[in-house]
Amino acid sequence: MQMRLFIPREHARVDDLNASLEAVLANNGVSRAIQGDVRLIVEELASNAIEHGDVARVGAEEHELCVDIAIRDRLLTLEFRESGAPFNPLEQPAPDLDADILDRPTGGLGLHLVRQVAEMAAYQRMGNYNVLRLSLRIPTEEDPA
Amino acid sequence: MSLDIELHTPGKGSQRVALRGRLDTHTYEDLDEALAPLLSRHLHSLVLDLSGLEYISSAGIRSIFKARKALSPHGGKVLLVNPQPQIQKVLDMVKAVPLNEIFSSTAEADAYLDVMQRRIIEADDDD
Repeated sequence: MQMRLFIPREHARVDDLNASLEAVLANNGVSRAIQGDVRLIVEELASNAIEHGDVARVGAEEHELCVDIAIRDRLLTLEFRESGAPFNPLEQPAPDLDADILDRPTGGLGLHLVRQVAEMAAYQRMGNYNVLRLSLRIPTEEDPA
Repeated sequence: MSLDIELHTPGKGSQRVALRGRLDTHTYEDLDEALAPLLSRHLHSLVLDLSGLEYISSAGIRSIFKARKALSPHGGKVLLVNPQPQIQKVLDMVKAVPLNEIFSSTAEADAYLDVMQRRIIEADDDD
């Protein structure tokens, strides 16, 4: 299974994207747990790109966010592509999770979650694009993870 | 699916709110708005019943942090009840909630609140 989805940089469209992905994953027998992980990765990365992306540097024809999803041999891969200033989400500082519970930093949580949920993640700058590839192992029924 | 927010009848200084659906970028503002009037009262506990909540993202975590911060100056707490697997996983990954503020059922949270309430009454009696 392999597909590519494009959406405009708008929060409301991210929900549409996730609805499409969820339907595809369900049709391919992917568990609710993995569906939740994919939804989290897509929401956090897309929100981050929409909120922090340098829109001034994004040409009209490059305004979309692109997500490729593939499932092969029980490995689900996601490729997230957006144009804009170079930004490596994997190199952002981790939030201080041991800070006083009442004084917890609220930034950086989303990207931290993405790094935690993905089994493998790799960033590449390709031309004008930030490209992030992530993979998740799909546990078999005999091998619940 | 969006977020359903059910406000229960307030108890003595305690308020239960049941959430169903998804608490994420698209819905956290609805929760912030619904909680704002409750947080301005001096609640000793806000009990969020998460039995029907299917999904949370960092935006939802931030709403919980905000509520906790709003209640803390007068010693109020945010208690979470019955988080489902995806929610528990996210709470764990960001160490969002101390273990003693998560309960497996509303009955368990009520029992805890009763003990807290009794301690407050006993402390008042000692004065």
